[in-house]
Amino acid sequence: MTTLVPLPTGSRRSGMATARAVLFLLKARAMLVLIALLILFSALAPSFFTANNLAILAKHVSISAILAIGMTFVILTGGIDLSVGSIAGLGGMVMGYLITQGLTFRGTTHYPPMLIAVILTIIVCGCVGLANGWLVAKAGVAPFIATLGTLYIARGAALLLSGGKTFPNLGGAVSRGNTGFPELGQKFLVGLPLPVWIMLILFAAAAVIAVKTPLGRQIYAIGGNERAAVLAGIQVGRVKAFTYLASSFCAALVGLIIASQLEAAHPATGESFELNAIAAVVLGGTSLMGGRGSIAGSLIGACVIGVLSDGLVMLGVSEFWQMVIKGTVIVLAVAIDQLQSRVQAKFLPLLLSTRAEAAE
Amino acid sequence: MQPLLVILVPSQDNPFFKSEADAAAAHAKSLGYRVRVDAHDDDAYRQDNLIDAAIASNAAAIILDNAGADSSISAVRRATKAGIPCFLIDRAIDADGIAKAQIIADNDQGARIVAAEFVRVLGPGGGNYAELLGRESDTNAQVRTNGFHAILDVQPSLKRVAAQSANWSQSEAFQKTETILQAHRNLRGIIAGNDTMALGAVAAIKSAGRNDIVVTGFDGSPDALAAIRAGELRATTMQPAVLIAREAVDEADKYLKTGSTGKPERQIVPCDLVTGENVANYKDFEKIR
Repeated sequence: MTTLVPLPTGSRRSGMATARAVLFLLKARAMLVLIALLILFSALAPSFFTANNLAILAKHVSISAILAIGMTFVILTGGIDLSVGSIAGLGGMVMGYLITQGLTFRGTTHYPPMLIAVILTIIVCGCVGLANGWLVAKAGVAPFIATLGTLYIARGAALLLSGGKTFPNLGGAVSRGNTGFPELGQKFLVGLPLPVWIMLILFAAAAVIAVKTPLGRQIYAIGGNERAAVLAGIQVGRVKAFTYLASSFCAALVGLIIASQLEAAHPATGESFELNAIAAVVLGGTSLMGGRGSIAGSLIGACVIGVLSDGLVMLGVSEFWQMVIKGTVIVLAVAIDQLQSRVQAKFLPLLLSTRAEAAE
Repeated sequence: MQPLLVILVPSQDNPFFKSEADAAAAHAKSLGYRVRVDAHDDDAYRQDNLIDAAIASNAAAIILDNAGADSSISAVRRATKAGIPCFLIDRAIDADGIAKAQIIADNDQGARIVAAEFVRVLGPGGGNYAELLGRESDTNAQVRTNGFHAILDVQPSLKRVAAQSANWSQSEAFQKTETILQAHRNLRGIIAGNDTMALGAVAAIKSAGRNDIVVTGFDGSPDALAAIRAGELRATTMQPAVLIAREAVDEADKYLKTGSTGKPERQIVPCDLVTGENVANYKDFEKIR
């Protein structure tokens, strides 16, 4: 081993320390960017670092973070889910339909109570996720194409539900027994908005699934080497279907939260949200090839995007510059991701050699 | 067979364009035409294909809410050369003598009247306000903001502390207003480039518990009228979309029968200010009494 790196002992030690430091900085890059942005905006905008603003910031982050959590599972298997924005739009419209139009059986109209309506909405959106899973796992359609198809189908379905109109006044009516929906997106619990709690609970659940359960290890295994995963006896189809179902569930929640915040459902809601979610996942260090990445990374990635857009609004930066800056951050993050792989490959022998020496 | 009238609008998921298309379609049917309605999604290429389809199906006339002042000229010219007269509604093109009529709501005047109401409600004390702009590449977004500022900028007591584009979108306006409210606690008013953004701002103000902030919109959508009735939105500008759509169909009918519309090509229709006092007179982009 030591012949690989013919360096004198002293410089090898310092080389190892540098290698470790460089690797640490590269690995923690999303976190470092986030901290840098927080410091920058706090310095430039006086009301940025206040409890009130941070609560609202967290609420804005929760939208792309919830989508990113579901998206991470899909991307870890080497897939992609382009349909999440449309599913969010569909979710809001289904909820709007149930609250304002109700369900008509044999001439009488029933208005389902809030909780039932939420569950029905999640089931409808879950069907789109299952369709994605079936198309990818059983029909063998490439994930990009399968979810591009359902992107259009779900958006079309959302438009058909109202004929293109908005469903307004989602507060419900006491006489119909379906009030309470606005609380989902607007209520505060222990100082934090409810969507932030939803995000935190989803994050905890997803992180446990990814790290502590066989299902999580199977997701990583499929993304790492699908052929090997099949040979190891993993039910690849089922695991993939789970990831698309999880992603559609997250999208349904986002659709419900937005409709609840606005107390109105518009069929075009969620357009291009999928791109924000993918950007958050990639910023968080998850590889689009699958097999490498983490849920926590995606949460940090979503924070970076959220802090960036809110901070720039507070500073009064124009929409055009906001887009340029956001794009630059995403591209740089992925470029650094590639750099990390190369640096890791270069320093690996060095690290191994010093470890071997320590063992002697 | 009855002659075919093709109606092309930007989208059918926007209440404004939908009302305009529905009004034109209903009126054309009552005059004895067959009707086809299509949406070009503000995509000049898609509009081109739809115009080709109209030529291929031998339409008698085209009613067009176009996809861009410059990028639509060639499509309108092609249809006209193929012997199909075009009647433009809502948005003009940067060329004269090709379309038979260009009937436009006066966005500049509409912006000025709603800005004047905004000034009046804020009173002589004035104060800080924020502006929500439409998609910045859209001509109407520019015309409206220029109209606003023609009135607002001569008020020394008014100060614009924030200006953000929310791309005509309600959810984007909601998030951006929440953030703007954090940065500027002493905000007194928000002037929005259209109604959906104004309603997003209203939702954000409600969730922040800041019911003292004055919000105005633009368009006169049904949801905005409901918000004015509820006292949440202070005022909006009603674009007479239904009137314009019917007028275009009438002129198309007259042109097909007599060879002339009897009107100049460019016709500008003024907008109305809608407030809590006169909101009962308006419904679905139309003055009803």
